[in-house]
Amino acid sequence: MFDIIAVDISGRHKVNDEYLMVCAAVAASVTADHIEKINQITLRTFRSKSAPDIQSVVKMIETTVSELQFNGTIVTEAGDFYNKPQWLINSMFTRDFKYQESLSERRSIEIAHHASLSSRKLLLKELEIQ
Amino acid sequence: MMRAILVKRNDPRSEDEKNELQMNELRELAGAAGYKVISELTQTRHPDRKYHLGRGKVEELALIVADLKPDKVIFHNPLSTMQIYNISETCRCETIDKFQLILEIFATRATTHRSKLQVELARLEYELPRARAVISILKKDERPGFMGLGGYEDSYAQDIKNRMTRIRNELETIQKDNESLRAHRHSKGFSLASLAGYTNAGKSTLFNALVDENVESKDMLFTTLLPTTRSLKVEGRDILITDTVGFIEDLPHWMVDAFRSTLDEIFLADVVLLVVDSSETFETIRKKLLVCHETMWDQLQDVAIVTVFNKIDLIIDDELQEKITGLAYLAPNPVSVSAKTGFGFEELKTKIRDLLPEWKRIELTIPLSEEGMSLVAWIYDEGVVHSINYTDVISIDFEARDKVINKAISLVNGLS
Repeated sequence: MFDIIAVDISGRHKVNDEYLMVCAAVAASVTADHIEKINQITLRTFRSKSAPDIQSVVKMIETTVSELQFNGTIVTEAGDFYNKPQWLINSMFTRDFKYQESLSERRSIEIAHHASLSSRKLLLKELEIQ
Repeated sequence: MMRAILVKRNDPRSEDEKNELQMNELRELAGAAGYKVISELTQTRHPDRKYHLGRGKVEELALIVADLKPDKVIFHNPLSTMQIYNISETCRCETIDKFQLILEIFATRATTHRSKLQVELARLEYELPRARAVISILKKDERPGFMGLGGYEDSYAQDIKNRMTRIRNELETIQKDNESLRAHRHSKGFSLASLAGYTNAGKSTLFNALVDENVESKDMLFTTLLPTTRSLKVEGRDILITDTVGFIEDLPHWMVDAFRSTLDEIFLADVVLLVVDSSETFETIRKKLLVCHETMWDQLQDVAIVTVFNKIDLIIDDELQEKITGLAYLAPNPVSVSAKTGFGFEELKTKIRDLLPEWKRIELTIPLSEEGMSLVAWIYDEGVVHSINYTDVISIDFEARDKVINKAISLVNGLS
């Protein structure tokens, strides 16, 4: 089994002149093709006036992940970092980082995606933004 | 044998190793399609809108073509209609890209009605977006002006669409037949296993060795195009094992859709045997496993996967262990076998057996009568009998699917 932290960010588009983003981090123990256990999930919101660049994405992820009590390699989709090569992104992180590869990693990211997307929708509704 | 020149444009700052791998794959694909590679050309640069390569490089290619007179120029990179037109105009030679090459292979290998339809559908899907462009390029000079050939262009595209709909309908009917066959097999107590993996990993050889059959297997890409299914007994359980088409890197999704029915065999299985050529380098295996995970990602849900490290007769033990450990996060349930020598088959079968849907074990007492005996015969057919005792009654200890057990119980109740 491997410990990973799957991360996904929702809301990287402009709504009402600002970006309201929700980052979800899922700490999970996985084997190659199955998620064995979800250990913890954390969510953080971020607001910004400008579109997120790579540095700010790294910062958002690091902030969210720091709230977890579990360790593991951070896993994201390549698209989250504008498909930049892994070695480049790797050097910006203080922790282990990689792009999604195995079935279980993809599945964990899917969970992170659902969590961040639905909390963002809820947030927009509460704040009466949309 | 037809002669071809291979061309590849490498992205700036891309890894050499990856480029070499892709070129190698193109060579093998060309070989599989029956081409003899007489020359190769690569260039590292960003794509050019008009020629894909740089203008100078295309002119260099034209000189080589004039000199060697190949039948075709084959590009690794996907080309737009305009680029194909411009390159063939400059080189005076038919130009195709990797996808057309794959289509060509599929077209020559397709033997049954169903596979011919699938190839035709894939070809039309490739052609549709290009249809308008092709017509307007070909008739450029004849354009009488303002209204142009609008009507004709539309009717050509419409014609393709109509043909696609017709083929789809026909395929759907065939698909239904296959589905009912599969459901029938499932209900007869067979579990389904299928062989998946990168093309040329040795799936067909493994298949042959497991079921002792003679399915065509060659050292060539896409030798298997149609799934072949045979039954196999694994520790008392009957399973149907299917040999399928191999995966390949960046196979366009429309092509995967067109060959869906082949891949369906994988997605509807109880166990998937993911075959890997362990004699390749660590990095190559990793990349190929990634392609497999990528291809299976959308459809595969709760299916168990066994990773079969094949061709272990070609490498030493330490190297194999290193690869298995290093790739553990991509290779679930690893088993090492050699399809050639038969090494590791027992372990593989045990692993398959462990992952098959569970059967229940039960003890039944059946009256010793004619009906009772026929019930025993039926249980022998449908399940695995562990022990049987004939006294005044028959005590039978057997293992079977839920359905079979329930039926047996109700039959016994009926008898007594």
